[in-house]
Amino acid sequence: MKTRIDSLDDVIASFAGQGYICDQRTALAVYLAAQLHKPVLVEGPPGVGKTELAKAASAFLEAPLIRLQCYEGLDESRALYEWKYGKQLLYTQLLRDKLSGMLADTDSLEHSMQRLGDLGDAFYSETFLEPRPLLRALRADEPVVLLIDEIDKADQEFEAFLLELLSDFQISIPEMGTVKARHQPLVFLTSNDQRELSDALKRRCLHLYIPYPDAALERRILAERVPELGDQLRDQLVAFIQHLREQDMKKLPAISETLDWARALVLLHADTLEPELVEQTLALVLKNEQDVALARDLLPHWFRKPRSA
Amino acid sequence: MADRRLHEFVRALRGAGVRVSPTEAEEAFRAAALIGYYPRDQFRETLALTLVKSQQERPDFDDCFESFFHFESAEDDDAEDDDAADQDAEGEPLSPQEGQGLSEQAAELVAQDAGQLEQTLARNAGEMDFTDMQVITQQGLYARRLLMNMGMGAVDDEILRLDASPRGGDQRRAGELREWRQQVRELAVRHVRRQFNLHGRAHGRALREETMRAAPFRDLREFKQVQTLVRCMARRLASLHQRRQKKAKRGTLDARRTLASSLRYNAVPVQLHWRQKRRLKSKVVVICDVSSSVRDAARFLLQFLYAMTDVLPRVRSFAFAARFDEVTDDFDRYSPDVAVGRILDRVSGSGTDYGTMFEEFVALCGSEIDRHTTVIILGDARNNDLPAGEQHLAEVSRRAKQVFWLNPEPPSRWNSGDAIMARYQPYCRAARRCASLNDLSRFTDYLLKSV
Repeated sequence: MKTRIDSLDDVIASFAGQGYICDQRTALAVYLAAQLHKPVLVEGPPGVGKTELAKAASAFLEAPLIRLQCYEGLDESRALYEWKYGKQLLYTQLLRDKLSGMLADTDSLEHSMQRLGDLGDAFYSETFLEPRPLLRALRADEPVVLLIDEIDKADQEFEAFLLELLSDFQISIPEMGTVKARHQPLVFLTSNDQRELSDALKRRCLHLYIPYPDAALERRILAERVPELGDQLRDQLVAFIQHLREQDMKKLPAISETLDWARALVLLHADTLEPELVEQTLALVLKNEQDVALARDLLPHWFRKPRSA
Repeated sequence: MADRRLHEFVRALRGAGVRVSPTEAEEAFRAAALIGYYPRDQFRETLALTLVKSQQERPDFDDCFESFFHFESAEDDDAEDDDAADQDAEGEPLSPQEGQGLSEQAAELVAQDAGQLEQTLARNAGEMDFTDMQVITQQGLYARRLLMNMGMGAVDDEILRLDASPRGGDQRRAGELREWRQQVRELAVRHVRRQFNLHGRAHGRALREETMRAAPFRDLREFKQVQTLVRCMARRLASLHQRRQKKAKRGTLDARRTLASSLRYNAVPVQLHWRQKRRLKSKVVVICDVSSSVRDAARFLLQFLYAMTDVLPRVRSFAFAARFDEVTDDFDRYSPDVAVGRILDRVSGSGTDYGTMFEEFVALCGSEIDRHTTVIILGDARNNDLPAGEQHLAEVSRRAKQVFWLNPEPPSRWNSGDAIMARYQPYCRAARRCASLNDLSRFTDYLLKSV
């Protein structure tokens, strides 16, 4: 990992170099997180680039990205570590003769127990430990970027379990004691606001809200990501998407949808936005039947307006 | 200095209702030290990143930031103007000849230049406790106390003495002193007002919330923040019950599944399986009277229930006044204000008829009511002397898990005039009064425990 970040502009420049265009606030969050060693909780509507932010940060810091996808019912054994039960059993089976041989000359139960005790934690050692993302992040040889994606989908218990990791970068494992991070990872948590996160979790994080981009930012993103798109078409497309976002829709189009649409238009060799073309490709932008119907009703009006203006 | 300002800002934020813990405040100081105070936008975002933990609090933060840092600069300017004025007033006539006229303490105070005076004020203010200030009218009292602590009493005495003196020069001097005193008092008042804005606001907010919770629904429109409060109360309730539901889910050992999976591991029960309680599939059906007398209560009830989607995923709602109609979609799709307006357009009119309403309700969705369904009826049971039709409610009650009746009127009036609660009450598991947000929140709590 890069140990020194010179300035805020450094972050912005690197992000821009990777094609991740963001506003100053987002760069500020990454900068502060790295300097203060605090996790960042990223919230915002789906598709505005929350996960992308973690990837961009990982590339910027030249640190590997470890990702933990949250879902309902996620527990410690999936997130932190698990014992390789099968392997443990197999070994005890294979070593049965050896064990009984070893215990053959013991005369009492206590003696045998002691002999077994001398073996140490043979069956609960590294060999049988299956590290999951969180443990991997803590024990990595170099600092990493840890992305805990969609934390709002996990249960409340899991959130509480994360608190120790987020504030002290350590985790307690009953059989092994406390595992401290070798290098403090940079942690990103993302949330779609499906449920309210606990105050305890929020208190430990910097809070970044990424809204839908405004027209200027969206144009810059499009120019960067889909350079083949003509200037005129880009302006039209952004204006149209921004117009859609002002509507009362079930699922508003996010930046990822804009990009999909732009790529499709490039493939179709479109030069300008025409009503028929929009109608045919609307399904790329809107993912809900009612929204599509609503947008279709809007189309004639929208195409009249710019021409008269 | 900068740290103290930030501390004050954090206190002001708390007063504005943003929760900030000491660790977060410290984090903000570190971040601010790292980023610097300029440019202003960047400084604001830095504080926002560290202090604001949800998007709902952001507007409060922005307001507070604007007024706090704006106030600071404006105040500094003012103070400078005042200092200039002070010097004009006091500097020339007071300094050369003060020695003879004034008592020692008064002379010391009067001789201070603007900067020293401000320091004296700040020092004395620092020794006072302003956190008890609760209402705006206390400002005069606190300003007076502050002036007394600064030793203004001696100056007062001096003015009285000079007034009584027959010499013309003394009279003139008394006038000058009075003017000077007035200016210092303005400084003190301004300082006290700032303290009030920092501390008094929090008290005021708590008081206002208290009032809103207990006020009858009809009067709630006068409060601006009522929407925020309702959302906040609903969220708190929802998260409380979310946890409770999760807890209830943990069960006992599922021996069958554990044995079955142990076969993989040579009959060693490596993986334990737990019997999970089946998730409750509770449905809630709300029927609201939206005639003019009950409309406000209906609005808040529906708003509350729809804020509970995390814990109550399936709510169907119906409204009736002159007509009866399902309104589930309106509340799903529009904000409460808009939804209520739309609903009223559809069903409003005079003459509520509970009997016919129940009949229509049974005909419309009687078959959907099962033993997981909770039916809530909100209304004053004023039936305009029409047939009660309680047999239909009895039918609903027989099929449903439970029926609750909420009445915005006090129990003493439940059967007065054309109200016929007594006819319906036998078929309800409970009938409660519901006239304020407090009642509503208590009922919702009770409901979530029983669904």
